[in-house]
Amino acid sequence: MRNGWDDEQLLGALREAMRARQAVPSWFVAMGKNAYAWHNIDAELAQLTYDSQADTEQLAFVRSETASIRALTFTSAHLSLELEVGEDSLLGQVIPPQAGTLETYTKAGLTSTPVDESGYFAVEPIPAGPFRLRFHTSDGADVVTGWTTL
Amino acid sequence: MRDDPAVVALVARAAASDQGAWDEIVDRYAPLVWSICNGFRLSTHDIEDVAQSVWLLLVGQLGTLREPAALPGWLATTTRRECLRVVTVARKSERLGTELDEAAQFVADTVVDEEILAAERNAALRAAFAELPPRCQQLLSMLLRDPPCPYGTISATLDIPIGSIGPQRARCLERIRKSSALIGLVEVGVNLPGGDPDA
Repeated sequence: MRNGWDDEQLLGALREAMRARQAVPSWFVAMGKNAYAWHNIDAELAQLTYDSQADTEQLAFVRSETASIRALTFTSAHLSLELEVGEDSLLGQVIPPQAGTLETYTKAGLTSTPVDESGYFAVEPIPAGPFRLRFHTSDGADVVTGWTTL
Repeated sequence: MRDDPAVVALVARAAASDQGAWDEIVDRYAPLVWSICNGFRLSTHDIEDVAQSVWLLLVGQLGTLREPAALPGWLATTTRRECLRVVTVARKSERLGTELDEAAQFVADTVVDEEILAAERNAALRAAFAELPPRCQQLLSMLLRDPPCPYGTISATLDIPIGSIGPQRARCLERIRKSSALIGLVEVGVNLPGGDPDA
């Protein structure tokens, strides 16, 4: 493209640039743009570090009993959120235990749940689609999970 | 690449709560993130997971990116790391063997530098195209089709004589060569063979 590119090469490069853009699905771009809603929300990202469903598949040949409770753990540098999927609610605990507020974000919007001094909380009903949890306290702890689907 | 003024300005505006600047960053670099995810052969679900993490990490770091101009490199590295995380989780649950390990490592180790350079070049070319007057955009769009529109069709659609398509095409391409987007790219040497080793 530097002066060495003739018209045909430049057209070829343009065609490639447009093709690379068109190969990207619109939902993928929209997802990136929507992430900006989190700008200025000063929460630390907690990653999914444990999912019992992944482990049960692995252990299926050892244990024959099924119906174990699905458990997930999200971990950030400062605290963890431990979740158990109950029948009609999502039960969780903040580790280390502390009181605060838990917000559940879904495509439909936001609901708030109190977290007691032992760090326990319950989210009802269980989010049907993708959701993320944000835990924050009055003294500045603020952690958010990535989007998760159960 | 690390001095690309357009990228530095976009990052600064996005950090200052300009959604339009953020959208432009995503438009520019979504193809880079997408192509890296595809290199790892992730499922759609895992690609969503990776993309969410990557863009959220970037949103969280807009104000503190040490080198805003190195954004494409940061995005490539972060995407690659997130893909490896997802692949590792999948391997743990599915007990896939060394084959996936090796594939992931191969993808992680190669191509990325070229991908960053190609992504920068493509983003600059698209930006240059977007700066063109509408007439030029129409003409080049028709020529960029695969296969390109016949001159007869272009002449009828744009209402210009066939004989002036060639000269107009040359003028439009010359505008692209002289656009600030491409000049910025040339100044920082993105299209040099091998590119910037620190990028």
